[in-house]
Amino acid sequence: MSEVLQKPFILKTTSAERPDFKAYMPAVLAVAASLLMLILRIQFGGAHFIADSGLMLLALACYLTAAVFHLTNLYAPSTTAQRFGLWLATSGVFFNLSSWLVRWVNARDQEVAVILRNGGEIPWFFRYIPFANLYDLSLAFAFGAGITTLLIAHRKNFRFLGALSLPLASLILVLARFIGDELINLPPVLDSYWRPIHVGTASLSYGVALVCFAVAVVYLLKDRTKPEAMAIWTSIFSLSIIATISKFSVLTSATYSASTMMMGSSGRRMPIPLRADIPFVGPILVITALLLVGVIVTFGIYLAKNDEKMRAIGHWFLRLSLVAQGIGIATLISQIKSLTNITSHISTSQYAWFGKWLFEQQGMRPGEVAQISSAQLYQAAEQFVQQKGQMLALSTNGNPVELSALITALTATFFVILFSFRTERLREALPALEKLDSLMYKTASVTFALLAMLLITGAIWANESWGAYWSWDSKEVGALVAWLTYAAYLHTRIARGWTGRRSAYFAIVGFLLIIFTYLGVSYLLPGLHSYA
Amino acid sequence: MQQSVEGFDKYFAELTPAQRLVYGSLGFFDIYHSWYFNFLLLTLSLNIVLSSIDRFPGAWKYISKKKLSASRQFILSQRQRETVEVKDESRASLAQRIASACRDLGWKATVTGKGNSNYIFAERGAWNRLGAYTVHVALLVIFLGFFMTANWGHTGQMPLAPGDSATEITQLSFHLDQVSQVTVPLPFKVTCTDIQQKLIERDGPINAMNTIDWLTRIKITDERGEHEGLVHMNAPLDYRGYRFFQASFVSTGNARSIMLSLTPQAGGQPIEVTIQRNGSTMLSDGTKIEYLNFYPDFTLQGSEPDTASEDYNKPAAQLEVTTPSGERKTVYAFAMELPEGAPVGAPFGGYKFKLASFERAAQAHILSVQHDPGRLPFYLGSAFLVLTLCSVFFFSHQRVWARIEQKEHGNFEVVMGGDTNRNKLGFEDKFKRLVEMIGARVDEEKQS
Repeated sequence: MSEVLQKPFILKTTSAERPDFKAYMPAVLAVAASLLMLILRIQFGGAHFIADSGLMLLALACYLTAAVFHLTNLYAPSTTAQRFGLWLATSGVFFNLSSWLVRWVNARDQEVAVILRNGGEIPWFFRYIPFANLYDLSLAFAFGAGITTLLIAHRKNFRFLGALSLPLASLILVLARFIGDELINLPPVLDSYWRPIHVGTASLSYGVALVCFAVAVVYLLKDRTKPEAMAIWTSIFSLSIIATISKFSVLTSATYSASTMMMGSSGRRMPIPLRADIPFVGPILVITALLLVGVIVTFGIYLAKNDEKMRAIGHWFLRLSLVAQGIGIATLISQIKSLTNITSHISTSQYAWFGKWLFEQQGMRPGEVAQISSAQLYQAAEQFVQQKGQMLALSTNGNPVELSALITALTATFFVILFSFRTERLREALPALEKLDSLMYKTASVTFALLAMLLITGAIWANESWGAYWSWDSKEVGALVAWLTYAAYLHTRIARGWTGRRSAYFAIVGFLLIIFTYLGVSYLLPGLHSYA
Repeated sequence: MQQSVEGFDKYFAELTPAQRLVYGSLGFFDIYHSWYFNFLLLTLSLNIVLSSIDRFPGAWKYISKKKLSASRQFILSQRQRETVEVKDESRASLAQRIASACRDLGWKATVTGKGNSNYIFAERGAWNRLGAYTVHVALLVIFLGFFMTANWGHTGQMPLAPGDSATEITQLSFHLDQVSQVTVPLPFKVTCTDIQQKLIERDGPINAMNTIDWLTRIKITDERGEHEGLVHMNAPLDYRGYRFFQASFVSTGNARSIMLSLTPQAGGQPIEVTIQRNGSTMLSDGTKIEYLNFYPDFTLQGSEPDTASEDYNKPAAQLEVTTPSGERKTVYAFAMELPEGAPVGAPFGGYKFKLASFERAAQAHILSVQHDPGRLPFYLGSAFLVLTLCSVFFFSHQRVWARIEQKEHGNFEVVMGGDTNRNKLGFEDKFKRLVEMIGARVDEEKQS
């Protein structure tokens, strides 16, 4: 972004070189075309206009194919691949932003229709800005990552970055797809002009942080980090995901169970904290976990003793784990789509806990719920399953974060395998270490500044609507910790002269903290930000 | 888990007494007010102050003692460096040319001569070296704001229904899972004149999911007089250092206004009248109707009217009717049809009363009242922080040195070098252009 700000300055002072406007064309075009799409939607919109969810899928398809072209270009450099990659990425950003803008109008149309039927006054336009839940924010987050990639691509030797940042942006859109695109009624506390400012800063800062993370990974690769060492880390990452999903049940009892949803009469689906065991998935994930342990052990021995044999075995484990993860995800999704007679898959061991939830839903206080005997709880849950079992359904929207985490683990494994293939050639294709370090520093600085604005705008907004700028809410603390990590990056660089590899570790940890703040807080911890 | 967070009581209920004692005494339920947390915050502030003091003189030197000349060795140790041979009339004119090329690139150039060498020093954005310290100052101002809020600020609740007045707020004080109330007096009186709830679906529930906005109209009375004000969601009202926020509402259904349909018992068309909450109306025949109360789910507790639930199941309005002859009676108007001869819905004063429609609103709104002396430092610090962060990261301190030495045949050797603290790529481009510019002019001269 500093590039953008500095460009006019060069314009004024030099006539020696013509300003490189053309290099910014993709970003400008994508934004301009999206605005045109918005105008078209407002002018000719209606039921026949392309749905925002359709546009989102188009964006996803563009990002994915663009990533393939970018990767091809790294291994077998060709101008055609590079050009295709860039234009597909541009179309991806266009579809992504259009989807977000069209959603804005759709959300307004839907609610205004209800209000007009009642004869009420029409609220202001910003009430409907798509920053209402995690779906909206994911859409904006992916856009932030996409536009940053396009802006950085104005330097030709940084175009390769899309090979990493676009798959990450795709993962975010996959997450959005699993969250589901239902429009929600906005909680009134969010209806403030601070929302576009605060959440807009959030999605931009997250997007820049994502690019910073991608640069850090590329830096490590260029800096001769062995793909085997990376494989150990991605395997630990995949293992921790397999261990924690489905309430830790995969490694403890070799079962995976998915959350059920209750189909309401109006077509709305309500998530129910009752999980149904999905056949085959548990054992497959256990096998995957064993393969991943194999990867960690063999590569560990290879790195410690330089044992070539172990290295070869490790790579086989790694490839097998990729296949196993793929089969696991495919089985999970196909079972979710096809499984019938869900009640027979619901384990009764959840009844005591679910019974408590049922009583709480009826408005009982925790103290009162604690008085209820476990037999009563069990009975209440059993009765619910018997009576309402027919209304329960499985959906890929039931566990968006778990599914996306599995797919992210798969992607990470895939990339490590890719990196270990013709690694030297790949390293040669990448820009010099110093340039990567400089870009990493630049993106980290922008992330730091944007996160600071995120915290400040959040604090001011909180003070305007809750009367307290800082409530030590879990999301606030998460964002603060991420900000401090980037602050540590900058301070160690200035005060201690840490650059390169050590900085890259900070950038990676910082981004992981951002993802934790982004998802973990909403799905795991209680707090004021529970809506998004 | 924090004691003010939703779900704390559930969590607390599941702890054993020993856990409660240990966690409670270690401050785990209110970690951000524990002594060690304050200690850490103080240590952090001190750390920032001390390290700034330690490093500031070094940064100040960039501004106070500019390095105008440099040895060949120093210049060649810079990240960007280049040595070129140039033809020119004299050392001085070459120096002027290099200086003007630097100026063209946006650097401020100074030419000095010493012995057999001329030096050009050019730089831009030296103040950028101080940016980090201004960021720290901004952070300390924010911390000061926090400290002032924590020590001298207070926030309390004030439930208000139309007609209610309050001269104090209740502050919640947490001790483990026990919540106690402390009252704090206000220097003025607050009277509620109206509460309104804008709904998405007009006849839907009054919960948050169906609400666009809650509005509370208040009147503040003190020795300065009377002030009218409106408080609604995300739009607080400021008065004498106090801020009023729309915080929450009592979810029992009520009606902001009711529309009654009065059927004359003597025959004729029904008359429709609308009455605001706590209001009254006078019919043309002199009958006075006062709107006393609203019950969303009317029931009788013994002989007293009450509501069975919060929802609008059997809405009824309680009215006080005074006939032209001065006869008074409490009458109930129901929205639903009542069986003939039901005692509560009996006609009075020559009219049969029916609740034709009503505007849904909550029983009462709860305002949050805040007195916060730390707000000004906090906002100032924040604005300052954003400004300084931008100025630190979007600009850089760039320095270039050039040293001219005479060579044979009227040729000069120019040794150039430079570095920047940020935006290395941008600087590299500029430096290359500087080298090109000096080189390019030499070429032109050669041609002519």
